[in-house]
Amino acid sequence: MADLELDGLSCRFGAVVALDGLTFTVPSGHVVGFLGPNGAGKTTTMRAIFGLTDLDGGTVRWEGVPVGPATRRRFGYMPEERGLYPNMLVADQVEYLGRLHGLDGRSAARATRRWLERLEVADRARSKVESLSHGNQQRVQLAAALVHDPEVLVLDEPLAGLDPAGIDTIGEVLVEQARSGRCVLFSSHQLDLVENVCESVAIIDHGRLVASGSVDELATSGPRRLAVRVEGDRQGRWARDLPGVSLSEVDGGEVRLVLDAATDSDVVLDAARAAGHVTQFVFERRRLSEVFREAVGR
Amino acid sequence: MKALPLVVAALVVATIVRLRRRRGGRGGAAARPSPFAALWEGSRTLRAHLGDRRLLGDMGLVAGREVRERLRGRVFRVVTAILFLVVAAAVVIPTVHTGAPRATRVGVVAGSPALDAELHAAATSAGTAARLVGEPGIGVARTALGEGRLDVVVEGSQRLVVLDPIAATDTSATARFVRVAASALGLARAFARAGLTPTQAVTVARARPLPIQSIHPGKHARTASETTALLGVVLVFIVLTQYLTWTLMGVMEEKASRVVEVLLATVRPVQLLAGKVVGIGVVALVQAVALVAFALVLAKAVGSNLVHGEAPVVVVATLVWLVLGYAFYSWVYAAAGSLAERQDQVQSLALPLSAPLIFGYIVSLTSVGSGSASLLVKVLAYLPPTAPFAMPTLVGFGDVVWWQFGASVAVTLLSTLVVAQLAARVYRTAVLRTGSRVRLRELRSSSPR
Repeated sequence: MADLELDGLSCRFGAVVALDGLTFTVPSGHVVGFLGPNGAGKTTTMRAIFGLTDLDGGTVRWEGVPVGPATRRRFGYMPEERGLYPNMLVADQVEYLGRLHGLDGRSAARATRRWLERLEVADRARSKVESLSHGNQQRVQLAAALVHDPEVLVLDEPLAGLDPAGIDTIGEVLVEQARSGRCVLFSSHQLDLVENVCESVAIIDHGRLVASGSVDELATSGPRRLAVRVEGDRQGRWARDLPGVSLSEVDGGEVRLVLDAATDSDVVLDAARAAGHVTQFVFERRRLSEVFREAVGR
Repeated sequence: MKALPLVVAALVVATIVRLRRRRGGRGGAAARPSPFAALWEGSRTLRAHLGDRRLLGDMGLVAGREVRERLRGRVFRVVTAILFLVVAAAVVIPTVHTGAPRATRVGVVAGSPALDAELHAAATSAGTAARLVGEPGIGVARTALGEGRLDVVVEGSQRLVVLDPIAATDTSATARFVRVAASALGLARAFARAGLTPTQAVTVARARPLPIQSIHPGKHARTASETTALLGVVLVFIVLTQYLTWTLMGVMEEKASRVVEVLLATVRPVQLLAGKVVGIGVVALVQAVALVAFALVLAKAVGSNLVHGEAPVVVVATLVWLVLGYAFYSWVYAAAGSLAERQDQVQSLALPLSAPLIFGYIVSLTSVGSGSASLLVKVLAYLPPTAPFAMPTLVGFGDVVWWQFGASVAVTLLSTLVVAQLAARVYRTAVLRTGSRVRLRELRSSSPR
């Protein structure tokens, strides 16, 4: 399977370091969330993939080969600020961008109709872009990024400002694209949405990768966390003296425990049973927002 | 009259700016189909049959979009309609002034060959012609006058009869004829009473004033080719102003809307820049050729002198310099557009850019108005920023030979190549830059994409 590799990307704007040896891979078949605080270098990275930023160092590779103009024709891009001609008709605009990506006229027209219907804006095909709502402009923008059936899809904040229906539609499309073998990389500050849509994430800060991996890995990485309820011991006295176990929180009878790496959870379960009837014994996942805060340190 | 071209040009430029502002401020309603859009839709089938080949690659696609969008735009339609009206007026109005006047219908009672000769001579002096109708008596002649079949009645050498009093301010052909005929016939009667022989009377009547000689030469009447050059200079100015503004605004709008990021993700900057320049240029050329063809056909139909003598040569020279002028300036305007992100920045850039354009236009126009090519015009004809106005002016005066024309073309073409390279460098560096200005050092170090 083909991967998009970002290898040691470095970029400096005067005294500001935008990218500092950034390295990560977007595997095909995956939706990868690209996270980071404002100014972390997300947009610069995406622009670098399309040659829109002059890099001081590093390489972007696709299928193991450095990306050039011909390869970029097979990529789809949706910038953060809407990249559409305000006065142009919706269908003409999508078709035009399809042709610039190498489609012939008939194929571009066919693909335009298909994507406008899929993204539920076919009824606005003969309207000017400026007459559309923000959400519909976003859908048209996505249609423009998808019209040439790209192998790599790079989207900068595609979910920003969308209503729940729009988020669902665009989220479904991104997952469909990944399932059909495409690389999908998108940035967002809506971490709950990212958690729902993405298989994996890359988190950057100050132009460096600070965490990456599948959402499951990141959510379950680090010390294991347990939430336990024992009838007759709402204060968790049974767990206070267990070796390798620290009690982090007691909340309404639910006791939250953090286990050392060497501690066997069965030992904890046995101790709980000995104290009373166990009504809850659950390993807790970290939310992506917790992972993010830990990774960027704020 | 001298100020007329300036006024026309100012009106058209103001209309362009006004319409652009209105378009920018309009809430986007669904677009209405236009005749141009219908034409484009109709051509889809033909293009599909031709296999949809991309003749000029990405640049051709970009140029095609420019052509489509410009033809579809309201600004283009309104300005084109105005220009056609202006051209029609410029061609037709002079012929109305110079057209042959209707002959004055003169009823003659008790006429004679000598009286007829006097009346024809009076008509010629009045700048008209007389159609003499013999009448049997004054009563019949008055009736014909009252019924509008005659304009004036001459009763022998006694009197002239008209329907209404002739006002002092009346400059109609009939009024002029009546004044001259009354004076001439009165003079003839006075000569007869003074006892002059017919020969003496003719000698006195043909007396001419002494010639007046001036030290400085007088202004000669404008020739057809000079008139054509005048119209050509105005046309070049209007078309260049309109389409260069489009280029400037078009590049700025692509940058401001960030659509340039999407485009440059798949198209090289130089392809995008060249496509825009070529696309808008094609629209400009088509409009100019249509206007000139319309002017020539109309001139032929109404008998205008625009199609006589050297005028067609001036027309061709004007079109050549329209293309060369656009080619030279369009790169500069496109590069300037890439430096701007907002309307106010565009306006501050447009003023210095248009200064040489306006200078060349005014100097050339003044030269045509004065009837001779000044040394300044002869110099400006070889400088690329002003040659599009000055060289057609020299052609209109017949003050240029083929190799001089060719030398000026060569200088402009070479300059255009240099300017295009510099413009591409500025565009490449600036069009993706937001927030901060591009410095010269960055232009030198920018890598080609």
